[in-house]
Amino acid sequence: MTGDAAATGYGFIDRIASIYNKLFVNPAYRPLLLLLGAPITLILFGVYQYRKTRDGSTRRKQEIRSELAAAGMKEQLLAEAIDRLSRKHRFFGQSVTKERLKAEAERLAEAKLNVLVEERIHETSAAGHSQGQLTFSETYRELMGYPLFAALSFVLGLPMYVLMAVYANPYAKYIAERLFMALFVILGVAFLVFTILYISPMSPAANILGETATDEQITAFNRLYGLDQPYLVQLWNTIRDIFTFDLGRSFAGNEDVTVSIANKFPVTLTLTLISTVIAVIIALPIGIISATRPNSFFDYTFMFIALLGLSIPNFWQGLIFILNFSINWSWLPATYNPNNWLSAIMPIVVLGTGLTAAVARMTRSSTLEVIHEDYIITARAKGLARRNVLWKHAVGNALIPIITVIGLQFGGMLGGAAVTEKVFNINGIGSYIVDKQFIPDIPAIMGGVVYTAITISIVNVIVDLMYAFFDPRIRSKMKQY
Amino acid sequence: MNITLTKQELNFRLKSAPEYGQASFAGIITLALGLVLLLNSYVPDEGAFRPAVLAVGVAYLVFAALQFVVWLLIRRNLIAIGEITAGTRIMGYLLMLSLFTANVFAATAAFQLVKKRKTAAYTLAVYTLLTTLLVFAVSSLNLFKPYVSNGFLPGMFLLLVSAVVQLVALLLIAKSANGTKLPRWMWSVALILIATAATGNLFALFLGLLLISKLRDKGYTSGSKVGDIIDRLSRSSTSMLGLLFILFLLALSISSYLTFDYGMAIDNNYAAIFQPPSLEYPLGTDNFGRDLFSRIVFGARISLVVGLLSTLIPVIIGGALGAISGYYGRQTDNIIMRALDILYAIPGILLAIAIIAAFGASTTNLILALSIGAIPTYARTMRANVMLVSTLEYVQAARAFGSSDLTILFKHIVPNSLAPMIVKSTLTIGTAVISTSSLSFLGLGVEPHIPEWGNILKLGSAYLETHSYTAIYPGLAIIALVLSFNFLGDGLRDALDPKLD
Repeated sequence: MTGDAAATGYGFIDRIASIYNKLFVNPAYRPLLLLLGAPITLILFGVYQYRKTRDGSTRRKQEIRSELAAAGMKEQLLAEAIDRLSRKHRFFGQSVTKERLKAEAERLAEAKLNVLVEERIHETSAAGHSQGQLTFSETYRELMGYPLFAALSFVLGLPMYVLMAVYANPYAKYIAERLFMALFVILGVAFLVFTILYISPMSPAANILGETATDEQITAFNRLYGLDQPYLVQLWNTIRDIFTFDLGRSFAGNEDVTVSIANKFPVTLTLTLISTVIAVIIALPIGIISATRPNSFFDYTFMFIALLGLSIPNFWQGLIFILNFSINWSWLPATYNPNNWLSAIMPIVVLGTGLTAAVARMTRSSTLEVIHEDYIITARAKGLARRNVLWKHAVGNALIPIITVIGLQFGGMLGGAAVTEKVFNINGIGSYIVDKQFIPDIPAIMGGVVYTAITISIVNVIVDLMYAFFDPRIRSKMKQY
Repeated sequence: MNITLTKQELNFRLKSAPEYGQASFAGIITLALGLVLLLNSYVPDEGAFRPAVLAVGVAYLVFAALQFVVWLLIRRNLIAIGEITAGTRIMGYLLMLSLFTANVFAATAAFQLVKKRKTAAYTLAVYTLLTTLLVFAVSSLNLFKPYVSNGFLPGMFLLLVSAVVQLVALLLIAKSANGTKLPRWMWSVALILIATAATGNLFALFLGLLLISKLRDKGYTSGSKVGDIIDRLSRSSTSMLGLLFILFLLALSISSYLTFDYGMAIDNNYAAIFQPPSLEYPLGTDNFGRDLFSRIVFGARISLVVGLLSTLIPVIIGGALGAISGYYGRQTDNIIMRALDILYAIPGILLAIAIIAAFGASTTNLILALSIGAIPTYARTMRANVMLVSTLEYVQAARAFGSSDLTILFKHIVPNSLAPMIVKSTLTIGTAVISTSSLSFLGLGVEPHIPEWGNILKLGSAYLETHSYTAIYPGLAIIALVLSFNFLGDGLRDALDPKLD
């Protein structure tokens, strides 16, 4: 359809029209397109319907169809279809009832007849007047040829044009789609966590008010926190609260949940981020050196230590650290204190151990895989220095799976921080959720889990965008689709 | 003698014999263990050595020295004539004595050394015997207790009988030459071996099945695929040792129904609070006077069951979802994978905490909570494999023959895309064990009265300053189990790698 863009002389308009057509053909974008450009859609629809009746294509279709039916085409097709189907069933040794065979044959014959009709129409129109096919998006293209309509449409359908602009740029489209997915995931997480807590057999009211609570007290408690409302209302309120950052008050302690989370979340996030950065700084060189000397003593030792690091439970490692560094040797404080950076060393090391191990192992295996690729041999054959080949050609390409692992492990660290926080007595989001779960304090748990999941989703979006940054293959793939 | 070997030739010759690598590995580990034991035998407060620990440490060092001598001999042999001489191999019998110090590292290397042509059956037979011997040795520590359980004597007798059977089987298998047809009476050996697997020693089961498959094969083909995989797996000492430890724990937890007294692990004994490690209480006692050793043995049961179940459930559910999604594609794929993306966005531990918050802390809920969180990972792995396999020609052939979608999927595609799932699940059992103990440590896992490793650790962590061993030993058990699963997973990944075919 873009083929005759130059012929019409409206380069820009044709480009817009072609984007419109692409969006229109795409089943996922079509409703969005029509909805965002609602006024234009209405105008277009009117014009399209008017033209269709005037064009008389439906009438011609009817004529050709009756013409074909008169010639006995339908019976012929039906007989052919029955013959074909029965032969197929005989070959596979299947037995099918007569009615089913007939129904299937009719379907096939009808489809074939439609194709024939389309062909006829195409023939006659090609022979007669050379007007383009009458479709919805074609109507748009023609109307855009009128400057008045174009100007009007820019005013009326601004949201639609924004959508089209996003769609036209592959990067913008990719980012927008990725963000939409993240939003979907966040809504899904909120729904899932809320549903789990809703169907819980535990009663927060009974847990807080104690065993002696009367039925009236429990009913009052439930009414106060909206627990007596129907499922959908509660769900809607919760989702609204999450997006407006107002989760209400916690059941126990009557504190503002959002404020508590806002106070605790940065602690966890800071510790996790620092230990991620340190872990990556340590793990990358180890993995690369191991990969350049596979099966050496160095390689075996470091990979053994890495596997050991993957196998140590965080809480045990924390306890052993406290035992040695705090109790036996009194080097570092045993509990975390935000004002003393020395006290952050042990938690950061404990949090980062698993990530360091995972990244080192991944770096080794992915670098090993890359340095056996043909293009590395080519680079070596060109006479490049070993160091150049390794750092310029190998590591850059080996980074992609490593980024995946870092992204995945970061999420795991943020979620698993609860254990480390409990060991070092850190006032973070993880220990907050654990403390609240015994009641269960629904707003606090909801907030903690959902905001953590949101953070992880954002990190995942960043990781996905980084792929595009690091991997030219993904970049070119993005442009194609 | 050709001394002027290039570096590459040298490397090639040394790598040609797996015994060389095994000897160096066993030597280093034995040396390290010996040093650790020596360090621990010294009590700084008293300035004296603990004689028992010291003796074991010295024994380890002696065997480490012996192992290094053997290593040097192997090295010389390989460099000089390219193979290991019979004289060096005989040294292996001397190294087998290290089994008396419970040094499986040197012992397995020794068993590999003494036999020149090793088959998968021989390796399995060695590990079968080792497992039973280890279980027997550990169970016999109960002899030093004031009383033993009612089933102790019959249990020990059964273990002894199966050890003898397995020893005989090992000798028979070692005698039968490689590649020849097995005699018919091997059938009875195989069946008796499978019967001894009732002690939980799965090595015996594998060995029996391997023998049967060889007998049925009647020497027509070059070998079964399972035999091939065991062959490859047995070349890596670390993964076999990992498997040894896992199956040892499994056998121990099954035979503990007879040989261990549950009362020792759960009944309070205020006369024996915080006893230091001794023969009666090999790992000491906790704040209620309960025997830490028995508690850890019983804890292994729960850790294994929870770890296995919370891997098996998501493997089945996630695998089925992934297979359907990868095979049917389009809308089905979209709907299933988007739904799983939501699960994927919540970290496993956090989801488990939320589920346990909603339904209460119990072992069943723990298994369910851990399982649900792991579904998306397996679904993704399975989906990728199924998508890959369904493009192969034989799937098209099956479709051309008119097979139904379900037949194609579950008969032709799924069995051929299982390998990565097996590797992944082995690696994640370790994670599940860690998660179980972590959640128990937080008070969200197994009920606190059950001796589970995380629960034992939680109790012990309160006495970190005064009686740190109550927190150290269960932790070591967790690490050993997780490490074993990780080693096994790594070994399986290499053994199942289609690139090696």
